[in-house]
Amino acid sequence: MEMRNKALLSSTSPSSTEATLTTASHHPSNNTANPPTSHSATSLNRAENPLTVASQLTTARAILWDPEYTTRNPPDIRLHPTHVGTLSVGGRTDSNISVRSLGGGSKIATMDKRHPSSFQQLEKLGEGTYATVFKGRNGQTGQFVALKEIHLDSEEGTPSTAIREISLMKELKHENIVSLYDVIHTENKLMLVFEYMDKDLKKYMDSYTSPSTTSGQSARGALDAGIIKSFMWQLLRGIAFCHENRVLHRDLKPQNLLINNQGQLKLADFGLARAFGIPVNTFSNEVVTLWYRAPDVLLGSRTYNTSIDIWSAGCIMAEMFTGRPLFPGTTNEDQLLKIFRLMGTPSERSWPGISSFPEYKTNWPVYSTQELRAILPQVEPTGVQLLGQMLQLRPEMRCSAQQALAHPWFADINARQAQQQHGPGGYAAAQPAPQGMVGQQQQQRAY
Amino acid sequence: MARTYADSGLSHLTNSLASPIQLETSNSRLDGVPKDLETSIHYETARLLQAAGILLRLPQELVAQSIVVLYRFWVGPDGGSLVEHDSTEQDVAAASLYLCAKPSAHAISPSQTLTVFHYLSRIRPEYSTTAKQDNPSENIDWHLSEGDLEIARNRLYKVESTILRVLGFQTHVALPYSLCINYLQTLDASSSTAGSAVAKRAFAHLNVALFSPQMLYLTYQPSAIATAAIYLAARETDISLPETEWWEVFDVDREDLGFLVVALRSVEGFAEDEQRKWGQRKVPLTVDELRAELERRTMLENGE
Repeated sequence: MEMRNKALLSSTSPSSTEATLTTASHHPSNNTANPPTSHSATSLNRAENPLTVASQLTTARAILWDPEYTTRNPPDIRLHPTHVGTLSVGGRTDSNISVRSLGGGSKIATMDKRHPSSFQQLEKLGEGTYATVFKGRNGQTGQFVALKEIHLDSEEGTPSTAIREISLMKELKHENIVSLYDVIHTENKLMLVFEYMDKDLKKYMDSYTSPSTTSGQSARGALDAGIIKSFMWQLLRGIAFCHENRVLHRDLKPQNLLINNQGQLKLADFGLARAFGIPVNTFSNEVVTLWYRAPDVLLGSRTYNTSIDIWSAGCIMAEMFTGRPLFPGTTNEDQLLKIFRLMGTPSERSWPGISSFPEYKTNWPVYSTQELRAILPQVEPTGVQLLGQMLQLRPEMRCSAQQALAHPWFADINARQAQQQHGPGGYAAAQPAPQGMVGQQQQQRAY
Repeated sequence: MARTYADSGLSHLTNSLASPIQLETSNSRLDGVPKDLETSIHYETARLLQAAGILLRLPQELVAQSIVVLYRFWVGPDGGSLVEHDSTEQDVAAASLYLCAKPSAHAISPSQTLTVFHYLSRIRPEYSTTAKQDNPSENIDWHLSEGDLEIARNRLYKVESTILRVLGFQTHVALPYSLCINYLQTLDASSSTAGSAVAKRAFAHLNVALFSPQMLYLTYQPSAIATAAIYLAARETDISLPETEWWEVFDVDREDLGFLVVALRSVEGFAEDEQRKWGQRKVPLTVDELRAELERRTMLENGE
């Protein structure tokens, strides 16, 4: 009664995840085993004869079926034709072929245990509260990377920010989100290997000199309208992707938006980000740098949602136009008043339910609502309109990232985008190239 | 270069499942731990973790996540071995709970975690009465000295980082609880007076499934587990569900449903067997205890 029906562990996977094509070598009874072949997705001719593959597949149930726990007959592991059908869906893994995905065609990944690779450490790029960032070079490819070194101190072991950041970033793959290539985990430190980006938006603005305006005409730090539109579009795409995947960034600010020399903008620093389930009423309200913090969070709301990232995006948009932070508050209270000075002091009439927020005060000075146009005279009307939709005091009034992307202000980018997707250039060249930036900085492209 | 994860993004409805090779062998068995003993140790450790979660008043979802993380850690030839010299299974359970709670809204401090596990180690293996009581038994010394705490804390951090390394930080676990409620509502089974009874039974099955030696949470998606729990709960409470093959709506086929229902029902028998097998003897949770148990087995064999 020693050997139970250890089913054959041979399977083929169309995905590149490891450990799918294996033979159980220490089971000599295993005579149907496949010779190991390449893991490469393209080398498998699965599409040609799905039935061959199916006949060799096994399910977790077949392996786990154990007469010890049941009096039932062994499971019938022959596969139904419908399963064979699902197998030919591109990129589908077999680890549990009988579960059809609920997640809108997403694949079922097998658990992956990763190994470190070697990187050469170059100069220090910056120092944060829980990490130091270095420029690095991949020893094998020569590619530049950003190495974020996290010290595992004695306070809390592996910082929760690192756990959040890694577990989210491993799965958030988008062209407007900085890529996490690898995690190197040693005895006393943790190194996150990110895609290398040249600057953050803060530094970019500080060092920006407009090529299209004569000096003095535009404020120091302000960017050109074309660049702002491109950056906003990319920022909103990154945010939309996070929100679609039910991740709140919670800490959007110019320092967390990275720019490379191709004019690409990517969201970074997901240390405060978290996945949101339903309901979200237990979130801490200690999030988001004060200046970009949404009024509902400042008021003490703990049931905030995706709209907090939209508020931050609105603040960032205004800052790119003027070169100055829109609401540079010093304290929670001061931050609220700076917002009210522009947006008007809210009341029960303009914001039903506001008096039940923990930070609600009855003695707020009563400001009237200012026109955004007045502080941003240089911005075209559609741009101001979009900004107005993002900077709504009431969270439920703010537009979503997806709605913002469809706003007429982005009409030209969206049209170009649609053209590229249908044209011969294909999907890959999706970045809008803002005028005045390509020529200016391209010489630095080292990789 | 890292392997890129499927372009599936982050799913809140599906989990990464264990691959066949990960299920087929484990590091512990490669290290010579017999399968049945391994199963007993897994079960005992998961039980310990559940008891700690109750004492720490953590939400069950967090406890469930930690138990799944625990099993993810053990599974596969490159997983954690029970024959790991500087850590005990109690450390592994504590670290798993601690690290899952940390980024959540219910963070617990190392000393809270360690004290509770220390207390449980004193009353092992009978947790059921303690879990119900609000105060720890008077006659058990559960106090950890400052020095012991310091040592235990360092070990906790070490085991935590081992778990994270082995899992590749894949600590996100999609759970079937809210899906289960959602499905019950869809089936119109939650509104009736017996609705709460079904929901309770179904949740009980979801909790029980965590302890299944068949590692259901590592081999089935939450949708399937939730569906099977509902099916079984409805049977047990005499609630009629639609005559049609309603599980198809939730993307579960008859075959999977059948397997899961049997699996869920067999956990109880498994638990009773374990209790009978070990009685008041302690399931080995440290390397020394494990060695002793293996020696005992050899002696018994030779003695016959």
